[in-house]
Amino acid sequence: MTRLSGGLIDRSRSLSFTFDGRRFTGYSGDTLASALLANDVRLMGRSFKYHRPRGLIAAGSEEPNALVELRSGARQEPNTRATVAELYDGLTARSQNRIGSLNFDLLAMNDLLSPFFAAGFYYKTFMWPRAFWEKLYEPAIRRAAGLGSLSMQADPDAYDKGFLHCDLLVIGGGAAGLTAALTAARSGARVILADEDFRLGGRLLAETHLLDDAPATEWVAGVEEELASLPNLRIMRRTTVFGAFDHGIYGAVERVADHLPEPGGKPRQTLWRITAKRAVLAAGAIERHIPFANNDRPGIMLAGAMRAFANRWAVCPADRVAIFTNNDDGHRTALDLAAKGVEVTGVIDSRVDATAMGDYPIFAGGLVSNAKGRLGLTRIEVRQNGRSRWIECSALGISGGWNPNLHLASHHRGRPVWDEALQSFVPAGDGPPGLIVAGAADGQGSTAAALRSGAEAAGRALAELDLKAAMPELPQAEDAVSKPQALWHVPGKGRAWVDFQNDVTVKDIKLAHQENMRPVEHLKRWTTLGMATDQGKTANVTALAIMSELTGKSIPETGTTIFRPPYTGVSLSVLGGGNTAEHFRPRRLTPTHHWAEAQGAVFVEVGPWMRAQYFPRPGEAHWRETVDREVLATRKGVGICDVTTLGKVDVQGADAGEFLNRLYCNGMKTLKVGMVRYGLMLREDGIAWDDGTCARLAEDHYVVTTTTAQAGPVYRQMEFARQCLWPEMDVQLISTTDAWAQIAVAGPNARRLLERIVDEGFDISNEAFPFMACTSLTICGGLRARLFRISFSGELAYEVAVPARFGHALMQRLVETGEDLGATPYGTEALGVMRIEKGHAAGNELNGQTSPQMLGMGRMVSTKKDSIGAVMSRREGLAADTRRLVGLQPVDAARPVLAGMHLFTDGAAQSTATDQGWISSACYSPHVGCHIGLGFLANGSERMGEVITGANPLDGQQVALRVVSAHFVDPDGGRLRD
Amino acid sequence: MTDLTPITALGGSAPAAHQFGPLRISENPDVALVSLALRRGATQPAPMGLELPGPGQWVAGNGVAAFWTGPGQWMIEAEGRATEDFAAALAVEASGCSITEQTDAWTVFEIVSGNGGAPIRALMEKLVNLDAGAFGPGSATRTGLHHMSAYVIRRADDRLAIIGMRSMAVALWHALDETAERLKGELQ
Repeated sequence: MTRLSGGLIDRSRSLSFTFDGRRFTGYSGDTLASALLANDVRLMGRSFKYHRPRGLIAAGSEEPNALVELRSGARQEPNTRATVAELYDGLTARSQNRIGSLNFDLLAMNDLLSPFFAAGFYYKTFMWPRAFWEKLYEPAIRRAAGLGSLSMQADPDAYDKGFLHCDLLVIGGGAAGLTAALTAARSGARVILADEDFRLGGRLLAETHLLDDAPATEWVAGVEEELASLPNLRIMRRTTVFGAFDHGIYGAVERVADHLPEPGGKPRQTLWRITAKRAVLAAGAIERHIPFANNDRPGIMLAGAMRAFANRWAVCPADRVAIFTNNDDGHRTALDLAAKGVEVTGVIDSRVDATAMGDYPIFAGGLVSNAKGRLGLTRIEVRQNGRSRWIECSALGISGGWNPNLHLASHHRGRPVWDEALQSFVPAGDGPPGLIVAGAADGQGSTAAALRSGAEAAGRALAELDLKAAMPELPQAEDAVSKPQALWHVPGKGRAWVDFQNDVTVKDIKLAHQENMRPVEHLKRWTTLGMATDQGKTANVTALAIMSELTGKSIPETGTTIFRPPYTGVSLSVLGGGNTAEHFRPRRLTPTHHWAEAQGAVFVEVGPWMRAQYFPRPGEAHWRETVDREVLATRKGVGICDVTTLGKVDVQGADAGEFLNRLYCNGMKTLKVGMVRYGLMLREDGIAWDDGTCARLAEDHYVVTTTTAQAGPVYRQMEFARQCLWPEMDVQLISTTDAWAQIAVAGPNARRLLERIVDEGFDISNEAFPFMACTSLTICGGLRARLFRISFSGELAYEVAVPARFGHALMQRLVETGEDLGATPYGTEALGVMRIEKGHAAGNELNGQTSPQMLGMGRMVSTKKDSIGAVMSRREGLAADTRRLVGLQPVDAARPVLAGMHLFTDGAAQSTATDQGWISSACYSPHVGCHIGLGFLANGSERMGEVITGANPLDGQQVALRVVSAHFVDPDGGRLRD
Repeated sequence: MTDLTPITALGGSAPAAHQFGPLRISENPDVALVSLALRRGATQPAPMGLELPGPGQWVAGNGVAAFWTGPGQWMIEAEGRATEDFAAALAVEASGCSITEQTDAWTVFEIVSGNGGAPIRALMEKLVNLDAGAFGPGSATRTGLHHMSAYVIRRADDRLAIIGMRSMAVALWHALDETAERLKGELQ
């Protein structure tokens, strides 16, 4: 087959491509589908289940059969519809779902076994033996029944996302979409016109009707030119609006570089979230086919698609073509093909009163009942007046009427209604608010009706926005409406395909009916009808009409399945928005991150933060060697640790003290200026929530700290309390977590080290600056800083805060200046060890299951004032819990202690009923010289010295533990106050 | 004057800057930021002669600028005063207000277009769910940007500032950098 005359292809630009390794050429303006047809390739794929040879059915995104693997290497993309793959020079494509060649697919034996592969067979067949499912059945089924394959390599291309806002979004750039966009844009409204094709015009590009005595493409070009000149309109070609979401938000994928061999500097695709005040859906319509026996032979396609290939791309699948129709539209294809010199061997029209509209044989009242030609159609069986005969033809166009493309209008559970006159479902107007349907999508399929309804829809939308729009002058256009005869399939022997992509036949629907899978939603799940990449665009209505025949219910009674986004397949890459690997989510870095990196620190993720976990030194073979060294160096000399990640909230105002009194279970109003207090916040149910310190910098100014993990939630809770619970209070809040680099300096030499950097005139001696003091001061020659004498490690310790940009330099200064004092940077691991040794509760203890009493802080909950959770913390059920935080030490010092172990009385049975608590934190303590743990033990405070069992019954581990004080280091706190 | 040497939010000794086609994105470490919040019953001050703007607004005055951050709350910007105690200077001008230093809580990226407002709008469309067309000069808001929270200020038709959390500066810079780079590819 050579090219026909005409067409919207650029014959001066020839493009080379390969399909299954064979080299072909096409033209600029071609799709892969049209270029393959132009090269006489009719066989383009194998079907999903039976591996039947398949060719094109459609010319657009509804195509169920011609799915290919596009591109190669890491860019290989499965299940690409050849009809929407824009041809470029160097394109490579392969057919998929076959073993062997496309012409001789070994899996075609499935077709011979088809009686065993009827709908629902998986559910019935592969049930026994059970063990075979995962190892044998599933892999075999997946291999045999499937679509394209993945490259198993990472996608090398970039993907983008973006946000657009407009008054009117016009979905579809055909006759209705263009008049809608023109009407709205002329009024000055902000308009976006999105079309999935690479060329505006929609169905106008596929038809030969004139507009105002000129080819429709001339009118389209004129409109396009005007639209391009209007700054308030944005044309988005190659953009599929795939879903209508809440509040006027539409999802769209722009294929920015899919039509290029490689994206170059561009993103491959962009995911747009479009917020539109109003939208016009002008998505057109999709033609129906009419199932008959063997109707899946390559060469059998929709008549409208055949016409589109001939008129737009100047190709026809064969020299001799027949048409099977139940309405006038099939005749249009016959006329257009005949005009291009294609032999039309007959139009088989199911209507008994049908007449030919041109010079071709007509079979009025005829039906096509069978087809031959395994790898390509050779002849069709025509039944007419009780007689059957075979007619030679290499292609058959089928027109069974048109289904409006109402998917997006049905996305908010809009339920389409049946239009008896049109014999199709049309939108009922109950879809997404603000969405108006126009043109063929609304059942207004004649060119004149589409042009008019597009403009009118835009006018209505703008009127709702109080914008005035004038109707544009519309060109004269054809206005023929043809009611299709109700013909949903041709009864007969043999398999008649309804859903080509999922290999669902009329027989399968009968079987579904027989097995009582009659509601459409059951029909869909049980037969897989309407699933996969095409979502049944050419199948669903036909299938439910056949089901309605079987049940005796009407089509509207039978109804449609629910429509959901996406309208066409959306790649996970573009949904991901382009951020992968370490950029998948943003990371927070501490002010000393770069310094720690240079020291060779090992980092650990702590929520969004990256924190230095430990600082290995040459010769240290194991992380614990490093951590033990850091702990011992801190307890002996001085350790330095970045603790910026702890949340900081600045609290000011006349009522700041009272406000904090109500948030913390202990009192903060009585805190003296220049002092810090440990504070515990409770949840409303009385469970311990978060702890930290509260420093009073002035009468009306506090700075509170939170744990790293709860910094956000605590700040949110504080804002909630300020704005909603007690709006009458004079309190102002703001987070200062990132503003200050805060560095812990801990160990017996801490004060000596700090004295070397604190500016003259500030006295930080034990007397002048005792335990739990805080002050503003300057360091290192005038740098404003804050100093807090607080300790997490149990040592003499301080935290010094400076503006974050100086954190790096301060850390460096402390380590260098303190070298002779044994200054050692330590990470979160040593921090954890030291707080366990000191018996300080942390996230493991504040796990949302523990009360202040359990933590040994019951008396902290003030009874002199009310605070969030205070009353509930005293409720019977909670107060009766006898479990208390204790220290645990193995009787045999060589045995490890594991966090998560449960605690049992020595020798008792180990069950839920005898469970006495659990170990919340455990580590190796270099200070004690063995593993130690913190845990919650029933009557724990009365059991000091008792030997109990720590057990992990799941793994059969168990260890004898002695109950000891939780304070392994300096139990009377002398070091803190030295 | 302290002898400690500061680093920028991106970890450099000098501010970073990149050119992407018509867009130049640079780190601005020199602007001081201070939060000003009205105390109960306080009258709205006009610090350093600046009339504090309403919701969604940013105004620039003589060496200082301000944007609205919440009811009775503003962020005051002072160009070139990042290392001094600008909070203390502002407190004198705004009695009855809660003043909190915020300079190093944030990182400021200034984006300048060499080709009018169009590239700024195109970049905004890829970064934030704001109506770029309606976000004219003098607009300011806080919004989500690549899973981060950021202030976005339209300083002029051809100038945009994005202010993100300092600890996320590297992630924010990466987001701006790769978005602008792809946009450059698309604008070509």
